[in-house]
Amino acid sequence: MALQIINAGPPPEEIADQIRQAIAQRLPDATIEVRAEAPGHFAISVTDAIFDGLSRVAQQQRVYGAIAELMAGPNPPVHAIDRLECRVP
Amino acid sequence: MALEEAVKQEITELITANEVVLFMKGNRQAPQCGFSATVVGILDSMLPDYQTVDVLSAPHIRDGIKSFSSWPTVPQLYVKGEFVGGCDIIQEMFGTGEIYKTLGVEPIEVVQPSVEISAAAVTALEQAAAQHGGEGRELHLSVDATFQSNLSIGPRTPADVEALTSGVLILLDPISASRADGITIDVADTPNGQAFKVDNPNAPQVQTMTVGELKAAIDANEIVELLDVRTPEERAIAAIAGSVLLNEEEAARIEALPRDTKLVLHCHHGGRAQQAAEQFISLGFTRVFNVTGGIDAWSQEIDPDTPRY
Repeated sequence: MALQIINAGPPPEEIADQIRQAIAQRLPDATIEVRAEAPGHFAISVTDAIFDGLSRVAQQQRVYGAIAELMAGPNPPVHAIDRLECRVP
Repeated sequence: MALEEAVKQEITELITANEVVLFMKGNRQAPQCGFSATVVGILDSMLPDYQTVDVLSAPHIRDGIKSFSSWPTVPQLYVKGEFVGGCDIIQEMFGTGEIYKTLGVEPIEVVQPSVEISAAAVTALEQAAAQHGGEGRELHLSVDATFQSNLSIGPRTPADVEALTSGVLILLDPISASRADGITIDVADTPNGQAFKVDNPNAPQVQTMTVGELKAAIDANEIVELLDVRTPEERAIAAIAGSVLLNEEEAARIEALPRDTKLVLHCHHGGRAQQAAEQFISLGFTRVFNVTGGIDAWSQEIDPDTPRY
């Protein structure tokens, strides 16, 4: 088993909050659910009328764009989004 | 981490100058990650030419493309300047057939390959499936571009093709399926226990050429690459006109050539050239020849003025 370096960064719930806020800033009318799955891994579900008519890629780009800062750099707080669901209300 | 104007400009130029651009880890000949390799495999089966950008050798592009596309992962496929998606999306589009329209190519005819499995292999595969399979996890067989086979267990994807077998369910992706017809699977005993033995009749083999055939081909100007697999000392004693010594420089040049380039190899008697030829086969070359009897046969049968040693 690989040695895990103990990350002294913020706890998962705090990062989940940051994700929620970042998405809400970009999509103020959205209903947002963020769940921490494993260290650095999150599942996101976003419901917003703006997704209507958009391709899956275009929908996801809206969300990824909002959280890009949280995923940037060599050791970002958000390592991966395991699941991203975009729904129309 | 804002996207710098210079990087944005560089990416814009790349996706404008080429119709199909894959931002990936590694390059088309040598992908450096599984997801990148998967997308390359799909594109290779449909397009003779496309542009790849290795983000591992360009960190500014590795970060930049994520900002540019609002997409957190690599590989990323661009077609006609538009972001199409990453590995998951490309696989899904391949499965539904949508990818052909996006790339503007004719759809591949999906072939169900016949795979013959020995009784012993059936038992071993059923055991493996019982141990590692489960909800929606099936046996998969993949065949890469160099005809190496791989057995694995994993979830079924929409694109998967069922092999025609007696009893055991084996799934293949469409590209592997097109390379798999006639495969036989058996088990063999190795020092580490039992292993699966996969034999693929479609795999290119080293072909042979007599010195007579070589002479005729040279005279007809048909030989482009005649490679001498001996040492420089041997070459100083005797050489065949038109051949080049396969040193590191030549090997690098050859490895960059299209895989259907005809390669003819010779050595002293034929042993070393056979090994070298098999190496080129494993690199994906499909028309590789070994000159039977080597330069020794050439001296005896074709040109007595060529010294023997």
